[in-house]
Amino acid sequence: MLFTVISFAQTTVKGKITDNTGQPLPGANVIIEGTTTGTSSDFDGMYILTTDQAPPFKIIISYTGFETQTLDVTANDQTIDVQLKEGNELDEVVISASRTPERIFESPVTVERFGLKEIKNTPSVDFYDGLENLKGVDINTNSLTFKSINTRGFATFANTRFMQLVDGMDNSAPALNFPLGNLLGMTETDVNSVELLPGAASALYGANAFNGILFMRSKSPFDNQGISGYIKRGITSQEAAGDNDYTDLGIRMAYKFSDKFAAKVNFGYLKGTDWAATSVEDKLNRGLTRADIDYDGINVYGDEVSTDINGVAQLLEGLGLAPAGSSALVPSVDVSRTGYDERDLTNYNAESIKADWGLYFRPWADDFEIQYVGKVGSGNTIYQGANRYNIKNFFLQQHKLEIRNDNFFVRGYVTEDKAGDSYDMVFTGININRAWKDDNTWFGEYVAEYIGATLGGATDTQAHDAARVAADTGRFLPGTPEFQNAFNASINDPDLTTGSKFQDNSKIYHGDANYNFSHLWDVADVQVGASYRRYRLNSFGTIYTDTDGPINYSEVGVYTQIQKSLELSDNVEMKLTGSLRYDKSELFDGFFSPRLSAGFTVNENHNFRASFQTGFRNPTTQDLYIGLDVGRAILIGGAADNPARDIRNYGLSPTGSALLGGQTSIDFDGTGAYNNSFFANSVTNFAATGNPADLSIANSNLAQPEQVSSFEVGYRGKVKGFIIDASAYYNAYKDFLANETVIAPFYGDVQLTQNIPGTSTPLAVAAIANGDFQAYQTYTNSDADVNSYGAAIQVSTKIFDGFDISANYTYAKLDFDVNANPDFRTNFNTPEHKVKVNFGKTELFKNFGFNVAWRWSDNYFWEASFGDGEIPAFNVLDAQVNYRIPSLKSTFKLGATNLLQDEYFTAFGTGFIGSQYYLSWTINNL
Amino acid sequence: MKKIKYIALSLFALGFIACENDTLDDLRDRVNQGTEDLPDLSAGTADFSNFVSIGASFTAGFTDNGLFIASQENSFPNIMATQFSKIGGGTYTQPMMSDNFGGLILGGNPVLNPANGERLFAERLVFGGAGPVPLQSINPVAMSTTDFALNNPTGPFSNLGVPGAKSFHMIAPGYGNLANFPAAANPYAIRLTGATPNASMLDLAVAQNPTFFTLSEVGGNDVLGYATSGGDGSNPITDTATFDFALNALVAGLTANGSKGAIGNLPDITSLSFFTTVDYNPVPLDAATAGFLNSAQGYGAYNAGIVQAYAFLVATTPLTQAEADAEIAQRTITFAAGEGNAVVIVDEDLRDLTGINMQLQNFRQATSDDLVLLTAGSLIPQGGGTATPLADTFVLTPQEQQEIATATAAYNSSISAAANANGLALVDLNSILVEASTTGIAFDDYFLNTDLVFGGLVSLDGVHLTARGYALMANAFLEAIDETYGSNFVASGNVAKAGDFPTNYSPLLQ
Repeated sequence: MLFTVISFAQTTVKGKITDNTGQPLPGANVIIEGTTTGTSSDFDGMYILTTDQAPPFKIIISYTGFETQTLDVTANDQTIDVQLKEGNELDEVVISASRTPERIFESPVTVERFGLKEIKNTPSVDFYDGLENLKGVDINTNSLTFKSINTRGFATFANTRFMQLVDGMDNSAPALNFPLGNLLGMTETDVNSVELLPGAASALYGANAFNGILFMRSKSPFDNQGISGYIKRGITSQEAAGDNDYTDLGIRMAYKFSDKFAAKVNFGYLKGTDWAATSVEDKLNRGLTRADIDYDGINVYGDEVSTDINGVAQLLEGLGLAPAGSSALVPSVDVSRTGYDERDLTNYNAESIKADWGLYFRPWADDFEIQYVGKVGSGNTIYQGANRYNIKNFFLQQHKLEIRNDNFFVRGYVTEDKAGDSYDMVFTGININRAWKDDNTWFGEYVAEYIGATLGGATDTQAHDAARVAADTGRFLPGTPEFQNAFNASINDPDLTTGSKFQDNSKIYHGDANYNFSHLWDVADVQVGASYRRYRLNSFGTIYTDTDGPINYSEVGVYTQIQKSLELSDNVEMKLTGSLRYDKSELFDGFFSPRLSAGFTVNENHNFRASFQTGFRNPTTQDLYIGLDVGRAILIGGAADNPARDIRNYGLSPTGSALLGGQTSIDFDGTGAYNNSFFANSVTNFAATGNPADLSIANSNLAQPEQVSSFEVGYRGKVKGFIIDASAYYNAYKDFLANETVIAPFYGDVQLTQNIPGTSTPLAVAAIANGDFQAYQTYTNSDADVNSYGAAIQVSTKIFDGFDISANYTYAKLDFDVNANPDFRTNFNTPEHKVKVNFGKTELFKNFGFNVAWRWSDNYFWEASFGDGEIPAFNVLDAQVNYRIPSLKSTFKLGATNLLQDEYFTAFGTGFIGSQYYLSWTINNL
Repeated sequence: MKKIKYIALSLFALGFIACENDTLDDLRDRVNQGTEDLPDLSAGTADFSNFVSIGASFTAGFTDNGLFIASQENSFPNIMATQFSKIGGGTYTQPMMSDNFGGLILGGNPVLNPANGERLFAERLVFGGAGPVPLQSINPVAMSTTDFALNNPTGPFSNLGVPGAKSFHMIAPGYGNLANFPAAANPYAIRLTGATPNASMLDLAVAQNPTFFTLSEVGGNDVLGYATSGGDGSNPITDTATFDFALNALVAGLTANGSKGAIGNLPDITSLSFFTTVDYNPVPLDAATAGFLNSAQGYGAYNAGIVQAYAFLVATTPLTQAEADAEIAQRTITFAAGEGNAVVIVDEDLRDLTGINMQLQNFRQATSDDLVLLTAGSLIPQGGGTATPLADTFVLTPQEQQEIATATAAYNSSISAAANANGLALVDLNSILVEASTTGIAFDDYFLNTDLVFGGLVSLDGVHLTARGYALMANAFLEAIDETYGSNFVASGNVAKAGDFPTNYSPLLQ
């Protein structure tokens, strides 16, 4: 009889899972306790679980937003119908906050979760956009398909302080150090959950998790199999670009071949038209228009090239091309060339194609799993960094091998990017101009005509007008073959003096390991882990100073965490968490980052928490190794060996040439930026006053890691039907990584000890006066006090018999003395106040639900390398209605974003954000 | 219970108003440079409601050797009046010319110089591609229509600038009476007098009972006439006593009713381009010409003659050999092939040797201390200064320059005293021209100097200013008025902008 007991007879359990109103719950998880064997309910809430295990055993039934139930199975073919009791968002389980599953309610730090229910209900166009309605979250919109998530301030589109992990892989592009939103990320039907940790998480996640971290986890093919997919069609509507079609589709195919092997494939495709950026306002906030001589329009390119025409007049005199003495008729003012509108330099094609696949092997049919996951993505979008880039056919691939069970994982992955046909739109404008007429000729003709017009009786304005007409005669006009030829030549030429192609093929190699000892020791939950990362920068000299070959360097880190729960009394439970991480970059001294937190749960309904942690951030690859001429300055990274590799040839003024013994040009490298430079602001002052005492020495320090100390307190609880989640933080930064704009003279020391021979005029002052200098943007640390603090609170409840309503408020404040630090920009870029309100009902009528989201952002000031400017306050209303057809396993959603149709923008320089209207059809997304 | 819930929610959602914060303001300010708030304009203790100007050509707006509508609009007192109008200034009337050609006619006919038949009061100069040319060389039909007998405008005029007026002319009755022309009247003054032909310029000003006045270029023509005639004696410098009398009469008359005002001192006129454009040694020569000039047919005879003459003087007078050698060296005339030959000039301060030898006139070669006048420029290529010595009227020698400097200093001392005694704003035009003619002078984004044509400050005639120069002058007056009367034209940004004022007038302007 023993034989029958160990036979492979199969046990089948089936039933229907419903909510407390009797509606079926599709996609609920059913798992046999102590195993990973399980299934999920179908569209009618029905499930069938088949297992080798013989009764009795227990099954755990869970569904997001409902309280989990554990039920006994006592016989084969038993029917177990379950009615789940609705829980609340605090009951949802997150794993990121402590690297182990726990309820949000008792998580030691602030954590946000965006699960299947939220994805279904969001009125945003996709789940990634939907994160915008979470408290504390800022989404900065670069373009239609590239949105940049941040929390707690200090964000540009190059948000290197915020990390994004997809199934444990950092999906930032190696060349850029930050993720391109979800452009190359995850397909919506494969999303299991999204978690977001605002604030520093370096103690567990290493250097880059400095402002916060976003986790996206996909569905395992063992738990969710079958074919699911979605298609969205609609339009984007913007004043500048008009109405354009928009299509987004995705499909997921997963199959569990056996308890030992499963596989899945995802494919996603998106095509639309980006928000056109057509601002013609003055980029430098001087209120200029093209009628002004030194206009530099925000989205007009080519007009960045400007020069002092009096200097040109003197040169012309020197060359005998202008009458001797005539430079006195030419004012010492900067004149810019005439630019091209951005819309003439891009077709605003927004497109992405992404695919990923995974093979999952469980050799012993238990929780031990070996995974291979591959991802590729290619996309077209707009990225705004120091300039605005048309990211075209950008290609990113990732390959991961991971071995894991419930207690440990070891993973390794490689990320590689290829810039494809991407190009810098600003330099495209500049170099179409140059292909037609080089700068010297253009300015020469301008000045000659200015002099001629003046002698003919023109006033200054009339002379400038005549000069521009003369110099622009024969200019390539958009739409003509000569324009198109110059455009094509530029975007295929990586030399920024003549072209604008963006070249890159960088890689990151990354390894992680983690072991959780909690199943071994009862005293406390202990985890240890380690990570290793190696960078291989390869931009062929176009971004980094890697002309002579790729730049390699690496970082390692180890960490541990101890978590202990204590029953302080019948009513109060305390959970203590301590983490410590040590990181060492090849380039810098090692750093310890501790995190300590304590959470108190009172009466099961109230949780108070407090934590202290330090975080640090290594300078990014760009901070360290960039060597990029963006026109108005050369960006020069702050690694010790970097500046010397940025060698360029510069023309000298006639005076400078004479001082240096007759050479007409000079080879000058970037070291001057760090050891012989003035602050740009002080040079501006000097230009106005002529007083050398106004010059102040910059000599930026080389880049070092940045540190933050963060204090946070929080409360979560249920108070008379209200769910409350609140937190407040104070961050103090040390060695804040920042940019300085400095001016390095080609000759003379900035201490002004070297004089022009035989005079008392310092050489360096002469160099500035003669225009013999280069502007650099250095990457350095500020000793300025930078602090920030903020708070967020969300209150949610049900009203009117089952309508969900929640409202949250986020406060963020920069504490920094701007006036005392005129050359230092923090790029805080975050509104002081934000309010978001969500209102909806999943079951307004049978199978019919709706949701409305409204958010308001205070005005704020945007600072970034592309430009600085005011962001006005805005409020946005999104809404959706949805209808489920169970027989088709389908959900249809009709939605609209920005229903108020007030175009807004979240950053200076981007296109204005219009409205989107869409209809989506999602099949079998349980 | 539910009620409380809704109240709580609505408070929560609506309880926020967009409040400004300091950091945001600071960030905004940091970027928005150059938009600093200027103070409001204030007149201080001055009253600009009735503004009258007395002066000469600068006050009139004379430029490019002419006075015409466009140049009058850019006269420096009119530029000032534009600023005054923002703070209580009344209408500023000028005796407008009839056209933009410049020049004057009399009774429908051009006025000719009886001595040589050339046009007097000809049309303005224009830029001809390389330098100044008469308007008619570009526009042959251009002919002045401003007739100072037939179409004089009706006053009274705020602008009482009379080109050519010397200090004593300004107080002279009849200076504006057509009946006295040409002997003792000035056509530009004739245009001002209307029904009171014998009223002096001062009378015309006082009759308007001004609240504010400018007095400028008093004494300018008193030295300029001497200077532009090369100090040849045809147009002597006014003696200081005469000048002082005129000046004090002007100031006393203008301030009699408590009017406030500003008075400009005199620049060193010899730093104007009329005197600095032509070099002392501008002559290129080939070997044959140089050889000929050095030969006995050229200056060889003169050189040999002075040696003999000085030998005679050493022998017969107390003159020492050393003194004689120095003078011989100064007077010996030599030319060489190539660039840089100094012109031969007549210098009346040299020792007169004609008593010894009729042929030995007062010739010497110019040095860098001499100023060769603009009027010599056209003669030099035709042999002026080489084949023919330049007459006294084309050169200011150091002695003549000294006479001008001495007179200018004396005038300025009197002007300064008069300004101080009457609490008037004193405008130091002298220092401004020194700066402009040596280092150059910054005016907004321009760096101006006194070079002819291209310097931006001095008009094509080499003496008068460009519109841009007059704008600079107007600003100098405003600055001095600020200092004296507590107004704030400069601090409040209510000054002329260089770029709004041209340096030249189009030949096409009619």
